[in-house]
Amino acid sequence: MDCKRAERFLLRSLDGRLDHENRAALEEHLGKCPTCRKKDEEFRLILDLMRPQTVPEPLPYFKDRLLAKLKEKERTAPAFLWVKWAHRAVALSLVAFLLFGAGIFLFQPQESRELSQMERFLLQDENPLGEAASILDQKRAEDRNMMLIFASVGDSDVSRRYRP
Amino acid sequence: MDEKELIRRSQAGDGEAFGVLAERYKGKVFSLAYGFTRDRAAADDLAQEVLIKAYFSLPKFKAESGFGTWLYRIAVNHAKDFLRKNKRRQKEVSIEEVGEPALTAENESPEEKRVKEGRREIVQAALARLPEKYRVILTLRDIDGLSYEDISGILKLSPGTVDSRLHRARRKLREKLTGRLIRQGGEHGL
Repeated sequence: MDCKRAERFLLRSLDGRLDHENRAALEEHLGKCPTCRKKDEEFRLILDLMRPQTVPEPLPYFKDRLLAKLKEKERTAPAFLWVKWAHRAVALSLVAFLLFGAGIFLFQPQESRELSQMERFLLQDENPLGEAASILDQKRAEDRNMMLIFASVGDSDVSRRYRP
Repeated sequence: MDEKELIRRSQAGDGEAFGVLAERYKGKVFSLAYGFTRDRAAADDLAQEVLIKAYFSLPKFKAESGFGTWLYRIAVNHAKDFLRKNKRRQKEVSIEEVGEPALTAENESPEEKRVKEGRREIVQAALARLPEKYRVILTLRDIDGLSYEDISGILKLSPGTVDSRLHRARRKLREKLTGRLIRQGGEHGL
């Protein structure tokens, strides 16, 4: 038997949970191994020192004191209950508030995107001619051309400038 | 009156019936508390708190385990809280510090008593420094002498886990004590 196995048997023997055959094997090992014998003595001594020599009795009037405390607790129980639930209510309110805040933060509606010119024409029914419509309404051709020239000069898009 | 009837009445709020139950179990609960605290007044307080907690938790008792096991479970959980609250105080106590003297055997000489008492204090200090799970299992088995089956029920562990944890706890305690008891015990040491 090796020392590791002997220690396992030794610990089991402290509880009297070692069968006869293994006990004999352990005894034989302990007879030959001074290290394990010392370990056995140490475990037994520690076990002995761990246990209090005597356990005192509870203090006098244990039951009377207990029943008095129970009555006192029962009398103040509603108050205790209220305090207990008040704490819980505060905690729950805080959690609900945080969840609500997080919900608003996470699910806020997206800002409306600016529509392109083509979308404006199609979705908002805008007149593609815009200001040019009033120009084209002009009766006289030279007035119309002059107004188109002035309008295209003010336009930032060069490609849309009037080219006669 | 049998235990079931006492439990039933206690669940219905009969303080006197609970008083009878408490009288039956006070010794065991106090002994367990004393194993953790090693102080009579502190153990008394702890035992009272455990029984009060048990009284108010009785409506939840479903008799899936024995009343004793259920009560012990409450006691162990309460003792764990006690140990956590007192952890800082325990760390400040030096290993050589001598606490309240325990009663010693009559046939020992004063010198033997002094040496043994000193060793006992060292073992207690080392036990207090073990991780909670090891301290609990050593207290239940090696101090209170509960069976593996009872410990298994109280801690909700399989008997195999109880076995391995107990062995690991004993090894850890021995490691902590190696050398200390020799210095303290002189020729009677390890």
